[in-house]
Amino acid sequence: MKYSNAWHLRDIILLTLIAIFFGVIYWIVGPVYNLLTVALTPVGLGPAANDILMGIWVMAGPLSGYVFKKVGSATLGEFLGSVVEMFLGGQWGASTMISGVVQGIASELGFTFTGYKRYDWFSLNLSVLTTTIVTFGWDMIRNGYAKYNIGLLIALFVIRLISTWIFAGVLTKAIVKLLDRTHLMQTQTR
Amino acid sequence: MNPSFKFLLAVLIALEISFTSTWIVNLALAVIGLLLILTSRPTFKRLILLFFVPLIPASALAVAILLQSNAGIHFALVLFTRIYAYVFVGSAATLTTTVSDLVMSLEQNAHIPSKFAYGFLGAFNLLPKIVSEVNIIRAAGNMRGQALHIWSPQLYFKAILASLDWSENLAEAMTSHGFSEEAPRTYFKRIRVRWWDWLVLIGSLVLLQVALFGFHLQ
Amino acid sequence: MATIAVNHLSFSYPTEDGQKPLTLNDLSATFPSGGFSLLTGPSGSGKSTLMKIISGLYPKFSGVITAGEVRLNDTKISDIPESDRGQLVAMMFQNPNQQFAMDTVERELIFALENQQVAPDHMMARVDRALDYVEITDLRHRQLNSLSGGEKQKVALAVIIAMRADTILLDEPFASVDPVARQLLLSKLSRLQREEHKTILISDHDLEDYDQYIDHLFVLNGTGDSLTLLDQKAAQQKMAAFQRQDTSNKQLQLPTTTDQAVIAAHQLTLTAGNATLISQPAMNFFKHHITLLTGANGTGKSTLLLAISKLHQYSGSLLLNQNEVAKMHRKQLYQQVALIFQDADQQFLNVTVAEELALSLKNSQQPTYFMDRIPGFLKQLHLEQLQDHVVYTLSGGQKKKLQILEMLIMATPVELFDEPFTGLDFTSLQTVMAIMKTVAHDCQQTMVIVSHQLFGLDALVDYHVTLKNQQLQYVGGLA
Ligand SMILES: Nc1ncnc2c1ncn2[C@@H]1O[C@H](COP(=O)(O)OP(=O)(O)OP(=O)(O)O)[C@@H](O)[C@H]1O
Ligand SMILES: Nc1ncnc2c1ncn2[C@@H]1O[C@H](COP(=O)(O)OP(=O)(O)OP(=O)(O)O)[C@@H](O)[C@H]1O
Ligand SMILES: [Mg+2]
Ligand SMILES: [Mg+2]
Repeated sequence: MKYSNAWHLRDIILLTLIAIFFGVIYWIVGPVYNLLTVALTPVGLGPAANDILMGIWVMAGPLSGYVFKKVGSATLGEFLGSVVEMFLGGQWGASTMISGVVQGIASELGFTFTGYKRYDWFSLNLSVLTTTIVTFGWDMIRNGYAKYNIGLLIALFVIRLISTWIFAGVLTKAIVKLLDRTHLMQTQTR
Repeated sequence: MNPSFKFLLAVLIALEISFTSTWIVNLALAVIGLLLILTSRPTFKRLILLFFVPLIPASALAVAILLQSNAGIHFALVLFTRIYAYVFVGSAATLTTTVSDLVMSLEQNAHIPSKFAYGFLGAFNLLPKIVSEVNIIRAAGNMRGQALHIWSPQLYFKAILASLDWSENLAEAMTSHGFSEEAPRTYFKRIRVRWWDWLVLIGSLVLLQVALFGFHLQ
Repeated sequence: MATIAVNHLSFSYPTEDGQKPLTLNDLSATFPSGGFSLLTGPSGSGKSTLMKIISGLYPKFSGVITAGEVRLNDTKISDIPESDRGQLVAMMFQNPNQQFAMDTVERELIFALENQQVAPDHMMARVDRALDYVEITDLRHRQLNSLSGGEKQKVALAVIIAMRADTILLDEPFASVDPVARQLLLSKLSRLQREEHKTILISDHDLEDYDQYIDHLFVLNGTGDSLTLLDQKAAQQKMAAFQRQDTSNKQLQLPTTTDQAVIAAHQLTLTAGNATLISQPAMNFFKHHITLLTGANGTGKSTLLLAISKLHQYSGSLLLNQNEVAKMHRKQLYQQVALIFQDADQQFLNVTVAEELALSLKNSQQPTYFMDRIPGFLKQLHLEQLQDHVVYTLSGGQKKKLQILEMLIMATPVELFDEPFTGLDFTSLQTVMAIMKTVAHDCQQTMVIVSHQLFGLDALVDYHVTLKNQQLQYVGGLA
């Protein structure tokens, strides 16, 4: 199957819809985040909630990359999702859009490194890795992670890696497998 | 203010305060944001939410710094106020602009291709349907004896299929309503960039640099 | 004025393995200029496909034309620039949702005019006129999301009128529209044809009400390889078969005091946005009975079914087997009540027809009853050849049949059907009703059926409830 790099009206609508759907699903999970944060805050581990649930948050990126197989799809997917989230009045306000771009580029890198040629388990895992590293770097700056003691820092990183792997890796693969069987994505070629 | 300029300013401010550590500036930005929010006459419920929603991540970060690092109370304060600045500045932009005005401005002033503008807008307008669709997907699972959890592939699979179906319907309908990706369009409502849009944008940024630099010296 | 000429047209939706089964095979026909043509044919014959080809949406969005062509006034459709097409041909879709890009009625009309590069000064006059023509001026500033199905279809027609399209294609536009709105839309279309000489092509399964309006009746056969224009006599015959047998004299029973309530409402209030839809002091649906629920578009029938399924908030009390719906756990609730959604796609969870059936059978409350009967049902519904088919690529009617069957297999004690008969051709309709009746009886189910179409329903239902002026009420008549 050949994929073209041009974005058409239908692709844009589809990408935005997927991003919003994932945002809404996350939003419905939102209370879990709050509960978890409230529970962990007194011991100073509040930010860990963010890392534990990070995977759900960044799923839209690799999935868009995988579904559209176009340059920029992962970035665009995450970015559009973040714009919507900002309008919904999310917890991170104006920085949501920046995070959206950062997360998008982060997951995009996995596909970039494989030249947008491989769409398989390997590139997905690579995307999981780049996502974890880049978003973690961004949190070092934005959320002051850089100041934590090294033990906590490593723990948070590992938690985030696992979470991202489960959701953006394993789960994404399962979703794509179901999708492939429907043969419905082929209309994306034109 | 012109919607595109407004959002650009909000994002630039957010970016800048991510890299600086001056809690007074953060606080000032949050206050200015709040004042702008108040001009949009939000409901009381919304206002309460606006105060409490950032409280959770903000205190989580601040407490973590106090307990898990030796960066001290000053940095904890910076993180705490930073989150409030993010949210209030962001809300000041979103609560005073409609999505359709933003999209029209992006099309007319920022010259992004109309397919991106209207593709996004068409999808965004389905938001209420999307919320009920997620509930319906979960109910449909239960009705067939299959619970769908946040880790169930079917949940996302159904969401993507709905997106696929809707995107096809919407793209076909828009095309049938005369929308064409390449063709030029006329505009019923002109969104203009006026001289004072530039003034506010540049003025605010200059002011921000001055404030940051000033407090940095202290 | 435009003549639509279909010349030896073949069309295929290519499959993944590169095969190209022909959905439309060597079709030829001419839809006369300025005429009002009706296109009918069994589910899955390819009516929607043909209409989308004529309107230029296919093959842009899906499939390939493997042979032949469609000409509008002697110009090949594919040679007409997209931006000029709106003036020539516009389409109104079956699904009233996802038809609009903007948020309000007025903005959608303006969007369409901007696309046609109409000068801004002329827009308002055209918007005014279009809204006035369809008599929906009062909807002008409404959110499109908050409109009922019938209202949305009126807006869709207003857009087409504002765009001044020459040829109007309508693909089962009345599937979710009540008889009153349907009559109104039909008479508007007829006026457009007579006064403004528009060419109109409409597809429908339900031929009721058309005879006074249409000039030509076309029939597409089940396999999509013959499209014929019926002569006067044959057309009359076909239409006559659909004459709504006068339902006004059909009488149903009223509930008796011995009936046992399974769903009981007390001081129930349902609202949507700031509109109150239902305000009901007391009302019951009765066990082991099939109840028909009717009412005009937008009165709140779907909303009521959603409330019973805990998918819409209510105030007051709504009891299911003496338990408050709002307080029941989802898992427990959905073992007692199932909703058959208006949109069949919402019901499906798996990929193929066989998988869907298997899932239902696995979790059915009456697996042994259905085990041996499924093949028979599939045969009756003409689904037996489609077992390996991906559910999402079935035709509208096929999806509907599968959806109803798989939910019947679940054998949930209370089943709520939201317009289960839309998009079904005549024979399918009768088969489906017969199966529903058998299963409801054998599995001792309670059913509530929302339907606009009443044809043959007197044989299926026991009771009839109407929803009018925010009140539900049992009535004896069917019409
Ligand atoms: N996107 C698609 N991919 C593959 N096959 C399709 C697709 N859409 C429709 N089909 C198939 O093409 C055939 C014609 O479908 P179409 O929707 O045109 O029928 P229809 O006459 O409009 O039916 P209905 O009356 O049920 O709406 C059906 O057999 C259907 O399964
Ligand atoms: N946000 C809102 N504000 C005002 N009215 C709303 C809002 N959302 C929905 N409505 C109204 O609520 C009603 C919903 O009706 P519902 O879909 O239950 O009707 P129905 O009886 O099933 O109609 P149909 O026969 O068209 O399916 C519609 O009249 C719609 O206009
Ligand atoms: Mg059809
Ligand atoms: Mg309804």
